[in-house]
Amino acid sequence: MIFPNEPDRPPSAQDSPGGVDLGRVWAGVAAEVWRRHPGQVERTAARLLRSPGLARALVSTPSLLLPWLVSTVVVFGVGALVSLGPGQPLVWLMAPAVAAVGIAFAYGPGIDPAWELSSSCAVSDRMVLLTRAVAVFALNAVLGLLASVASGAAAALTFGWLIPMTAVCALALAAAVAARSAVVGAAAGVSAWVITVLAGQAAGGQFTSSVTNAHAYLPYLAVAACCAAIVSYALRPERGLQ
Amino acid sequence: MNVALTEIHRSFGKNKAVDDVSLELGTGVFGLLGPNGAGKTSLLRMLATVLPPTSGKIRLLDRDPRRPAARREIRQRLGYLPQNLGYYPSFTVVEFVEYFALLKQMPSSAVPKAVAQAVERLDLGAKAKARLRTLSGGMLRRVGIAQAIVNDPDLLLLDEPTAGLDPEQRVQLRALMRSLGESATVIVSTHLVEDVGAACSEVALMSAGKIVFRGTSADLTARGEGHGVGDAPLERGYSAVLAEARS
Amino acid sequence: MDDDELIAALAAGDDTALRELFMRHAPWLAGRLRAALPPPDVEDVLQETFLAVWKGASGFRPHGAPRAWMWVIARNQAALLLRRRGPVAAPLEETPRVGLDPAVAAVVRADIAAALSGPEGDLLRLMYVEDRPVAEVAALLGVPAGTVKSRAHRARRMLRAALGGTR
Repeated sequence: MIFPNEPDRPPSAQDSPGGVDLGRVWAGVAAEVWRRHPGQVERTAARLLRSPGLARALVSTPSLLLPWLVSTVVVFGVGALVSLGPGQPLVWLMAPAVAAVGIAFAYGPGIDPAWELSSSCAVSDRMVLLTRAVAVFALNAVLGLLASVASGAAAALTFGWLIPMTAVCALALAAAVAARSAVVGAAAGVSAWVITVLAGQAAGGQFTSSVTNAHAYLPYLAVAACCAAIVSYALRPERGLQ
Repeated sequence: MNVALTEIHRSFGKNKAVDDVSLELGTGVFGLLGPNGAGKTSLLRMLATVLPPTSGKIRLLDRDPRRPAARREIRQRLGYLPQNLGYYPSFTVVEFVEYFALLKQMPSSAVPKAVAQAVERLDLGAKAKARLRTLSGGMLRRVGIAQAIVNDPDLLLLDEPTAGLDPEQRVQLRALMRSLGESATVIVSTHLVEDVGAACSEVALMSAGKIVFRGTSADLTARGEGHGVGDAPLERGYSAVLAEARS
Repeated sequence: MDDDELIAALAAGDDTALRELFMRHAPWLAGRLRAALPPPDVEDVLQETFLAVWKGASGFRPHGAPRAWMWVIARNQAALLLRRRGPVAAPLEETPRVGLDPAVAAVVRADIAAALSGPEGDLLRLMYVEDRPVAEVAALLGVPAGTVKSRAHRARRMLRAALGGTR
């Protein structure tokens, strides 16, 4: 409280009746009154990600509005290109890279206003980007699911692209948290995606038919099993966690 | 020594932004002066571990920032105010400061009190729950300084902190820096010479990527005797040293 | 804004109103608490008091006595603190009042002492302890009778606040 030019300045150390530090008292009151109470999603994410900072980054992803809009457009755009067009394996394999670049750009130096500051913080900016990718895909998958009720094309997009990508990103993030390295996570995600595409090809040729083709659920199950294994590994009791 | 730079170079293509800089700093307030383009911001970015040097050795808080684990430890004890800090318009003051407190991996239980103290220290208490889009430029700058000090850093880097502040607020900011400088290394980069005089125990002047002067403000003033352009003694010293460096 | 309006704003969730209330009232509350408690305890009690004010603002009736209301909260927080610590260390001078918590009694006594210090104290003593008529008190104190009556009124209000707030 060092700017007394404002008329309503709070008490400072100068007002200390009998040695009582009113500044310290107010800081304690303000801490409780101004405190933000994280929602259930954020609290769970903080446990899963082992980092309240990453959880906050995840949950605040949609409230950074411009980056959110840009990355959503990229995700839907790439998704439409791949899932509604011919099912060529190479296109499918490249698609996540394109989407990832789009999300990285949306939340990166180009558009995120506090990018420079974020990249000087202890929580790795690559981890934050991975977290944001999960948030973008997960939320878009939910939107896609809702739209699937009305539209077959939306269903193809959601089941053929959004949901698998959400699973892959979640897997990548889980691996990154467990290994404490975004690079390991990305490698895990890429491998999982390649396996999914190739398995989908082997199971039924056209990837977009995966909704009805029971065989194609195998890769999804495999990915889900891996995620569950990694998450339970990550949640094992550990000393010295905050 | 909190900061030890040895023969640091940083180039962007053909442009030498930082040219053979060596620096050792302990606690105290250290001013980095120079015209725009002198390399101050690049130097600060390297100290903030945002930019690696092209060559040379950096040691911050007794650690090597090239190693990921050490870099994380440095960043937990670091406070940084970039020259152009953007804001998340929908965040409130408290949310913004808290967000970076969390990204700096402060223990969650300590965060609310640290945020409250940082906000009050920058006299933003009356605006604590106001959204950033409603604040003036000077207030936004103070929000930026608040997030830089929230984790009680050992190394505080402020790039043009006084932008948008009125004279009285600048006086108070200098008092804040002096108080922080008692236990931390505070480096202030500014092109406003008068920001330096009262607050900094030591000053360096950069020109074209090199450090062309290092000493106290009194030393800088002395260099201006009889030479130089400027209304105030420190300004005359500043322009005298720059003129010499350019010749 | 006066105190009533601030408390109403508090009840509506305006944290800047709490800040304003703190700036106005924390100094005198701290002074009063200081008569019974050391500085670190005063800080703890003040912090709990204002948090209680923040949470309890909706229960405050408008046109009540804000200062008295806040003082009662502070006094109760002080008693809570002392109770948590254990038995009161300071000895009780006269026969303990039956039914009154010793911790509360200590704070109330300090309270009364504060209320009775100064000109109001002399006046109350003259009027109620020594039972002198208003005219005589006025002559003794060298002030007009009207002043005696208004000071007595004020002193009684302070005592009432010290002893139990709005009743």
